[in-house]
Amino acid sequence: MSSRAASRWTDGSMGKRVAKRYAAERRFRLFGLAAVGLSLAFLAFLLITMLMKGIGGLSLEFLSNSDATEAANAGVWGALKGSLLTILVTMAIAFPIGVLSALYLEEFAPRNRWTDLIEVSINNLAAVPSIIFGLLGLAVFLNFMHLPRSAPLVGGLTLALMTMPVIVIAGRNAIKSVPPSIRDAALGVGASKMQVVFHHVLPLALPGILTGTIIGMARALGETAPLLMIGMRAFIATPPRGITDPSSVLPVQIFLWSDEVDRAFVEKTSAAIIVLLIFMLLMNGLAIYLRNKFERRW
Amino acid sequence: MTLQLALVAILVIAATAGLFARKRATGLRGGGIRLNSLPNYHALFVGLWTALPALLFLAIWAPVQSGLVEQAVLASPAGQQLPDFQMVRDTILSEARDIATGRIAAGFNPESNAIAPVYSAAYGKYSMVGSALAVLIALGSALLAMRLVKVDFRARSGVERLMMGLLVGASLIAILTTLGIVLSLLFESLRFFKQVSPTEFLFGTSWSPQTAIRADQAGSSGAFGSVPLFWGTAFIGAIIAMIVAIPLGLMSAIFLTQYAPARARAWLKPILEILAGVPTVVYGYFAALTVAPLVRDFGLAIGIESASSESALAAGLVMGIMIIPFVSSMADDSIAAVPQAMRDGSLALGATKSETIKKVVLPAALPGVVGGVLLAVSRAIGETMIVVMAAGLAANMTANPFASVTTVTTQIVQLLTGDQEFDSAKTLAAFALGLALFVITLILNLIALRVVRKYREAYE
Repeated sequence: MSSRAASRWTDGSMGKRVAKRYAAERRFRLFGLAAVGLSLAFLAFLLITMLMKGIGGLSLEFLSNSDATEAANAGVWGALKGSLLTILVTMAIAFPIGVLSALYLEEFAPRNRWTDLIEVSINNLAAVPSIIFGLLGLAVFLNFMHLPRSAPLVGGLTLALMTMPVIVIAGRNAIKSVPPSIRDAALGVGASKMQVVFHHVLPLALPGILTGTIIGMARALGETAPLLMIGMRAFIATPPRGITDPSSVLPVQIFLWSDEVDRAFVEKTSAAIIVLLIFMLLMNGLAIYLRNKFERRW
Repeated sequence: MTLQLALVAILVIAATAGLFARKRATGLRGGGIRLNSLPNYHALFVGLWTALPALLFLAIWAPVQSGLVEQAVLASPAGQQLPDFQMVRDTILSEARDIATGRIAAGFNPESNAIAPVYSAAYGKYSMVGSALAVLIALGSALLAMRLVKVDFRARSGVERLMMGLLVGASLIAILTTLGIVLSLLFESLRFFKQVSPTEFLFGTSWSPQTAIRADQAGSSGAFGSVPLFWGTAFIGAIIAMIVAIPLGLMSAIFLTQYAPARARAWLKPILEILAGVPTVVYGYFAALTVAPLVRDFGLAIGIESASSESALAAGLVMGIMIIPFVSSMADDSIAAVPQAMRDGSLALGATKSETIKKVVLPAALPGVVGGVLLAVSRAIGETMIVVMAAGLAANMTANPFASVTTVTTQIVQLLTGDQEFDSAKTLAAFALGLALFVITLILNLIALRVVRKYREAYE
């Protein structure tokens, strides 16, 4: 029978077949390596381009000036302050609401149609395009509630609605990973359900929740489209004094400068991108540090 | 300003009431009797019941007050001279509001300077009334709550009921947001469809949304056929971006999970994730400044005359790169979910590693990968900044990747950020486009989530 002949391993033809299969194996492996390499090369290309174009624009004046019509005088301080105020508003709203609803869904919610509805909407909101949140902000906060245009308050509210589902999902995972024995022990010594959750589960889940929150905040910091929708694209030369003052934010400032005809703004735009990327890197670094320091395997 | 003061006052009253309640509860315990609840719970109970009703009142009062102020201003002699036209009147009123609250020094319209003092007076009067009422409510509820502090009063269950309400309320925000999105998009879209028929919007093939100011001007009607926009969106987001993202993302996932040593994986994966963390405005700038000229020169070099510097290819390429980590991590998850026994079985029969991956692991992981790709498509078509900065504005229906096409999100930004009057079909069209985008991404997400979930159950 031919199949018996084919399984003779010392045969020359068999050796060739094995060699061919091993070559295919190496090729496949090489493709994989190339895919990773290509992606990383693109990332390096992007970062190096920005660094080369923008490093000359970074200076103390650039960090302390605000937007100006002359490229030479333009700086990022106003936009940076606007970004920080916006993120503060986002954090103040999204974090408590996100944590509370994560606690409710994970620890208290009965399984019924209502909680299913809540769950479905949270999962969907996490995947809704950010520009839709901008339209929501425009229709509700500006046209219906008449909040001040282009202010960090409105920007923060809009971004909070966008970040809240991210925090809820991260929070639920963190709460899920707290072992049931902790709850049983606390219940066993007479704690009420609410005391179990707020005295024991929440503190243990908090590092995980914080990690998710910081990552969500970093995403909100880099978000542009929804803020364009609510009018944060005006030329504003003075840094905002409060959350109701008109203000710009860093990503929008980048967008506005990228539209300038004056070639001198190329350097400014790239420098502003470097500043933005440094902030994102710091926030993500903090999240990774928190995760490594407090992550517990039960 | 007084409303903010009232807010602070309420919080101070609540804190002091809480402290008093605590002292009283501790005093009750002095006689050696056991309290039903700890003094801290009495304090929380009194504090919460003091603050919440007053805060609720303030939340309701704020919008009521602005309505009342507006009425008072319009009823005043200066207000009655304002033009009847709704839009002009609203502009003047909002300017007067800005002057009265000190946000700007003087208005653009002379009328707004005239009514600013009236506005200021009405505002002062009503916010005084509101603050006084809020503080009275806080004091009243503090007194009522304080009377409940007794030995056998179950303060803890009271506090926990309140907390429970807070928890439920917080989770309802998600539903409210969804509802808000659907309602606001629907409402504005309906107004749009009163002016433009839905069939023209859905099936029309010509898009030029500029409506003229006078009716007799050329091209006064504007065309709102959205088919070219959806074609452009699909071309960039679902075709070009996916041609880049699927092979690179999938192969990266395979390499990282199956071949890379654990230490290399621990380094490479987070670095790859940075691609997903770079803000989209940075990608957009990079696409417009660096990639687009390269693509155009390449197009000219291979003999395509019409190569545009706002080509679909440049935007799609960069978008594909942005999506790589997303596809990769979805593929990673579904590959990891394939049971080890299937892999071992294939290897034991003598298949090489790559044969196992191609013939066993990938087919088994396919539903998860497909779900991940659908989610990636939904993310790509909703992506805004890359296409706003790198894709064009001309609504072309072309399959030439070097030509310029426009997308739904680009047009939304374009429609809402130019000089605009709020009720025109042009502005409302943005909401109709938003509604269409929302529905499409929703359907994609629902299908994807269902596919992924069903597949997970199969192996558990």
